[in-house]
Amino acid sequence: MRGFGSWLLALVSALAFALLYAPIVVMVLFSFNAPRGRFNLVWQGFTLANWRQPLADAALTQAFLTSLALALAAAVLAVLLGGLMALALERLRPRGSRAIGLLLALPLTNPEIVLATALFSLFVDLNLPRGPLTLLLSHSLFCLSYAALTLKARLAGFDPSLELAAQDLGATPLAAFRRVTLPLLVPGLLAASLLSFSLSFDDYVISSFTAGETVTLPLYLAGAFQREISPQIQVLSTLVLLVSGVLLVLATPLGPSGRRSN
Amino acid sequence: MTLHPPISGHPPVPGVRPTVPSRRRFLRQLGLAAAGSVLAPPLLQACRGQGGGTADPTSGGGGGGELVISSFPLYIDTDEPDAPGSVARFRADTGIQLRYLEDINDTRQFFARIQPQLAAGRPLSQDLLVLTSWLAQRLISLGWVEPLPLAEVPNAANLIPNLRNPSWDPKGRYSLPWQSGIAGIAYNIKATGRELTGVDDLFDPALKGRVSALLEMRDTMGLLMLADGQDISAPSWQAAQPSFDRLERARRDGQIRRFTGNDYQNDLLAGNLAACIGWSGDVAQLAQEEPDLRFLVPETGGVLWADVMVMPKGARHPQAAARWMNWVYEPVEAARIAAAVQYISPVQGVQEILARDPATAELASNPLMFPDAATQQRLRVFGPLSESEEARWEERFAAITEG
Amino acid sequence: MLRSPRAERRLGWAWILLAPGLLWLTLLYLLPLLGLVPLSLSEPLSRFGLETRFSWRLANYADGLGTYGPVLLRSVAFAALSTALGLLLAYPLACAIRFRGGRWQPLLIGLVVLPSLTSYLVRAICWTSLLGDNGPVLGLVAALGLTELGNGLGLLRDGRLLNTPTAVVLGLTSTQLPFLVLPLVVALQRIDRRFLEAAADLHAGPWRRFRLVVWPLSRPGLASALLLSLIPAAGDVVNPLFLGGPNERMIANAIENLLLVQLQAPRAAALALVLMALTLVLMALSGVAVWLQLRRGGPDDLALP
Repeated sequence: MRGFGSWLLALVSALAFALLYAPIVVMVLFSFNAPRGRFNLVWQGFTLANWRQPLADAALTQAFLTSLALALAAAVLAVLLGGLMALALERLRPRGSRAIGLLLALPLTNPEIVLATALFSLFVDLNLPRGPLTLLLSHSLFCLSYAALTLKARLAGFDPSLELAAQDLGATPLAAFRRVTLPLLVPGLLAASLLSFSLSFDDYVISSFTAGETVTLPLYLAGAFQREISPQIQVLSTLVLLVSGVLLVLATPLGPSGRRSN
Repeated sequence: MTLHPPISGHPPVPGVRPTVPSRRRFLRQLGLAAAGSVLAPPLLQACRGQGGGTADPTSGGGGGGELVISSFPLYIDTDEPDAPGSVARFRADTGIQLRYLEDINDTRQFFARIQPQLAAGRPLSQDLLVLTSWLAQRLISLGWVEPLPLAEVPNAANLIPNLRNPSWDPKGRYSLPWQSGIAGIAYNIKATGRELTGVDDLFDPALKGRVSALLEMRDTMGLLMLADGQDISAPSWQAAQPSFDRLERARRDGQIRRFTGNDYQNDLLAGNLAACIGWSGDVAQLAQEEPDLRFLVPETGGVLWADVMVMPKGARHPQAAARWMNWVYEPVEAARIAAAVQYISPVQGVQEILARDPATAELASNPLMFPDAATQQRLRVFGPLSESEEARWEERFAAITEG
Repeated sequence: MLRSPRAERRLGWAWILLAPGLLWLTLLYLLPLLGLVPLSLSEPLSRFGLETRFSWRLANYADGLGTYGPVLLRSVAFAALSTALGLLLAYPLACAIRFRGGRWQPLLIGLVVLPSLTSYLVRAICWTSLLGDNGPVLGLVAALGLTELGNGLGLLRDGRLLNTPTAVVLGLTSTQLPFLVLPLVVALQRIDRRFLEAAADLHAGPWRRFRLVVWPLSRPGLASALLLSLIPAAGDVVNPLFLGGPNERMIANAIENLLLVQLQAPRAAALALVLMALTLVLMALSGVAVWLQLRRGGPDDLALP
């Protein structure tokens, strides 16, 4: 493709990237802003002070750590449960695999608000106080589908002859699995974990219905808009961006860790 | 799938990694170890649900020995570089471990958060809640509050007479006011180009799309009904209809840009709003940053409201709560808080204390903090709504604000 | 069907591995979701208590659709608009990545995904800065003299961008772009580059190459991309909350309001189920479309003139 078509392609791609990164650019920029009052929304002047004190907003930092811990726990749980399911469905293929696969995919097709409403009424019916436990249950649930389907896809793209080769060399099926398949699964496990982690870390809707009085980062940010948008919000977000970027670069040669991989 | 170099002479096996440590594996292990050591404590903390740190809002079980208070944000004096705020000083003076949470943003959503627990008869983690009076009224009528330990709060006698014994708490047993304030019209004089005179200015086509109203139904509807000449001390559904209609029309026409909570402040500062319904103390604080901001108590009337402290049922530290209430009703302390938040203090003697200090003398003559007779003439309190009435009002209001 | 003892053992293992996950899904997803149905037909026993009584209260649906029907339509419209706009941007970007990316493909894909790893709410807050009345975007529009045109086209409201449908659609598009680009890139990867070269050899220009080669072969990926974009967009909460006004509220805002502010769980459940039914219809339609596509002659048929 040459000439006009090529030029047009480049232009539209640039527009797409602009739309994607416009808020990101603002976010990074405003982390260097010296706001006049409580709301870091209007550019006043450049400063490094915010970066020297990234943890100055104690409540923000606490919410950040809460989200971090929750996302970690939810990811571990989701990858564990989902991994077992993926293994069973891909390798052992019991009857009803297709139905179970469908059940796994079903939560992905509902808008989050439907799930949130269902979980809310569930916890009310069970008389469970909304808090860290209900949050963990909710987050691990919606991460489960993503983790299971990601791992299922990875396992499907697998060459079973490798394990058979190991067994021909004398390994038991379990040992073959452990020493051949599992190490090769690590990129997939990493991808599923990262996916679950980022989904849980950034969840707003389901958390707002199931968190009770626990404050996760998105919930804190929603409230922050009403009382104080400290520059530390943009600073921490830029840090998260940098860390994600680094992780992404590290993970890239192992395969794209897309958010919803087919 | 890459082929890795052979180890000790064997031919390469596709897909099998060498066991010699690679840089990537080492980095990954390092990262995991670092992550684990950083994340383990908060993870355990979150799982146990216990508090740690000054502003940890994770709900706890007993929280042993800690006084927990929930309030609105920016409703108390905070720590300055040269002067600790009230919370810090209280902790130092009394030795009581106080956890002061600023986690109430939207009153109705806060109720939805505490409702399941209180309805099930389970205590909250908080010992005191600072609530809008209509929510306090609701909690009292539902029996979800304890009587305040006022015997241990001698300073409660300092309460200004206007706020004593409201109709919904006639003996004043369940509530003690925190701050009072006025809902009126906040505007940026540069953006409007002129001084505003009343609620009708909010509906001025020249300001179309740069006006907002509050999601706090009683404040918004109160102002509109007063402008309509209605009496809001006994608000009637029929009398409210013209104001509802007017609000709905303004919303559909795009006259009203947004319905807001506290976030009208963002838009005023960013220049997205020219005029809005807002609260007196907020605007007073904002005007220090942005001198073009003005606050108007309309001629037709402004809405006077009060936020009160209540003790939810099953509160575990009533004595500590009593110490706090007594402390903040000490006129000197009350004056410090009032100087910071610039709302109407419920404590007598605050005006004199502020007048004596040259740094705060100006505040002592601020009619928004100490309404003079003329302003008081224009202030009205929104009367109580029965449960079923309230449901009807909320439904109509939600249809307008939620589209 | 006779199974060897070994196969039987494997199946036993399968169910043990599946059990915990299935338990999770059933208890936390399936049952509560099904439980929404009787809830949507109930009425609350008291205004502030949590008990409800099942009473075949179809009025919940009637009232809900009556009051919030326009909101539902608006949500679908916004979702459709943002998906369409997103496709216009995503297709060229996906083509560029796939066919021009070379060894940078994984990095480019990563760059597309990276913004969605930052906080959704912080991005929304930053959009309010960008689109504000005194913000850079309006400044640019004014500098280019396009304000009147924007007003005329209905994109701007009296020269304002924030709290307009345009702002909400822009925010939605920005959010959905990665979920459109990724499936498209994956779908495009299945297209052998040589088809394009062959088309070029036959003197087909870029548009004809796209229309006759890329478009038909990438359609399966398109279906999943559309679904993955439309459904979350229709149920979005954050963008209308920050970037829209009361005339731009979407259905998820309404459900949240019903549940958390008006304390009307049955009516919220009814609306949620209506939304879910809508998404199921969408999925069914797309399934039918894919089926028709396959009947007519699927991806292997290039449909050259």
